[in-house]
Amino acid sequence: MDRRKFLGVGLAAFVAIVVPGTDLRAVDFRTTMPQAWEVEKTVDGIKALYGSGALKESPKLSFKAPKLAENGGSIPITIKSSLDLESVALFQDANPRCLSCVFSVPVGAIIDYDFRIKMRQTAVVTIVGKERGTGTLYTASKEIDVSIGGCGG
Amino acid sequence: MAKMKIKAKEKKGIVKVKAMFTSLMADKEEAIKKGISPSYIRYIVAKVKDAVVYEVTMSGFMSENPLVKFEFKGNKGDKLTFTTIDNDNKTETDTQKIK
Repeated sequence: MDRRKFLGVGLAAFVAIVVPGTDLRAVDFRTTMPQAWEVEKTVDGIKALYGSGALKESPKLSFKAPKLAENGGSIPITIKSSLDLESVALFQDANPRCLSCVFSVPVGAIIDYDFRIKMRQTAVVTIVGKERGTGTLYTASKEIDVSIGGCGG
Repeated sequence: MAKMKIKAKEKKGIVKVKAMFTSLMADKEEAIKKGISPSYIRYIVAKVKDAVVYEVTMSGFMSENPLVKFEFKGNKGDKLTFTTIDNDNKTETDTQKIK
């Protein structure tokens, strides 16, 4: 892990410039994992996407979200992680289908993603990250209150 | 249809990117409620010199006119190219120089 980190910090920029070909991965999860997008519950969604339900909590993977969202149509979320992750996915139970988005992280990238999601009711939001190489799944989850009366889209 | 606004700034080797895409992001249920056909971006990819720096697949549960922020290690003057694919397989491409 230490060596991996050292390499990641020191050489990532260098590698990205010298061998751009290695980063050329285009994974469209919509076409490769069509069934994962139709699942309703978070637990099943994780299994459908990653093929396993064994999750580990880690302080190195975290996300920021408001405790009380006034507008269910636009909830800002920031995912941060210092782990070497292959992909990060966001699941929630509020909507008819649980999977909101899946990031595939290029080698040596900084995991600091900021985006907005829609939620029609109060629910738990779960972030799942898959470590590169080992395939270990890390998770973080939080309940977000969506106030009724906001224009929930 | 879909326009995008891209801002990319380099500082100490790290490029901060803000990008906004125009899309209703209406999934099936919402489209029925509003009486329109579903329309959402399902895939966004950003590339610098043909290397992927940002890649996301999403459903219609991102908010309307999705705004994304992210960082990566890069250089000034490089060209950042965004490509989006929506639910009808329409693609849009836009390029912006890193400032």
